[in-house]
Amino acid sequence: MRTTQASGRKELQELIKTCEAIEGRKFNPFFLDVRLGVETLRKYFPYWEHFEDNCLDAHTINRLSEVVRLQNTLLRFQSSALYADPEFVARKVERMSEKRLAEVFLQSYHPLTEQEQLTKEVLAEALDYWNILLPIDERWKRREYAAGKRPETADSSTLTGLGIHGVEFGKQLVAVWNELRNLYNPDQKPIEYWSFVRRPAYHETVQRAYFVSFLVTYGYARLIPEGTQLVLLPLEQPSEKQPAGAVSFPIPIPREN
Amino acid sequence: MRALESTQTRSFYADKLKRAVHLLLFRRGKLPGAKEWELKEKLGKNYEQILGQLNQLLSELDLEIKKVEEPRTNDIAAEGGQVAPEEARYVVRLKGTLGLKESKMIGWRIDNLAALAASLAYLVSKQGKAPREDLERLLAQKFGRWKAVTLVDIFLRSGYLEEDDAGTTSLGWRTRSEVDLRSLMTKMAEAKV
Repeated sequence: MRTTQASGRKELQELIKTCEAIEGRKFNPFFLDVRLGVETLRKYFPYWEHFEDNCLDAHTINRLSEVVRLQNTLLRFQSSALYADPEFVARKVERMSEKRLAEVFLQSYHPLTEQEQLTKEVLAEALDYWNILLPIDERWKRREYAAGKRPETADSSTLTGLGIHGVEFGKQLVAVWNELRNLYNPDQKPIEYWSFVRRPAYHETVQRAYFVSFLVTYGYARLIPEGTQLVLLPLEQPSEKQPAGAVSFPIPIPREN
Repeated sequence: MRALESTQTRSFYADKLKRAVHLLLFRRGKLPGAKEWELKEKLGKNYEQILGQLNQLLSELDLEIKKVEEPRTNDIAAEGGQVAPEEARYVVRLKGTLGLKESKMIGWRIDNLAALAASLAYLVSKQGKAPREDLERLLAQKFGRWKAVTLVDIFLRSGYLEEDDAGTTSLGWRTRSEVDLRSLMTKMAEAKV
């Protein structure tokens, strides 16, 4: 009896997971045999004694009904003028030039017209800005202190060094990411930030720090503070969402050492 | 007597037309346009007639009033379903279309337009919803991995796409207001490569 209940719970939970994946558009709604799902529910229903099990049963029915609704929607969609196979769309996108795609879009695009206007909130924000703003002579003083080198011309080697010219930026990023992944060994200690970023020449260090900041921002690596150290952890699969509590973290790069 | 009545009716409509223009063109809330209940409240029961008249005036300027219905569910096929009046919104949009040069002048980049076309066509083919990673994968093939993430972010920020907590992207309010999806899909299918 207990074994049957346990296997029944497991099967229902798996059924719910499949239904939820279908709702999240991970699978086609017809991937699930609803009839089989209902039979599974019928099979285990006589064994349910506890309130939680009955709730699980009701929840499964609810999810199955959502899948049936999605199946109905899919059939209606397939019979509508909007239907196109996703594979066909993907192939078209791949083969069409950017200009052609833009032209096709513009033929169906009717931009909105509207007039933005001042509201109480915007006025309050503007007033705060002017109240906080320092007098111009104060601001000029700051500029004088902060005055750096005068502008000068840059040759192609400087631009290449900055990643503006030469090898494509994306390729350079991928190279740094691959380097980080190759260095990382899960059994050993994590990679220390400065040992990875630092190079004999200052401009190279700045450039690597710049690339690492992109890797961290786009979820291809994680920067973890460990005591007084900063540690880098490459991720095989870039995380799509920003982790909760993510913060902007400035790292000064000293010229010494 | 009849002439006086007719003048009064004309001025009544002129007032209502002005009020309708103010409601539709000046942004008050988060989204442009006005909700159906708002128009009913401010213009009266015959608001549809007033909007019809305004539409005629606007059409001379290549503008039109569009009723945008919020789908009850996020399914694209539910587009034609009955919608509660308080959920529908009226907006003013361009009646005709823009050329490539004009679109550049209003701040669009060709590659961004192309990416938006690809994203919308893909989402429509997936019934209006797809996991964000699938969409990014599609864009990455054409525009590069790094740019794909930025492009999706841009479209989310500007309201062309929406994303829920589970990371599923869907068509946003701006797509429903500005893009004729039927025409987009037809033109996409017809387009020569």
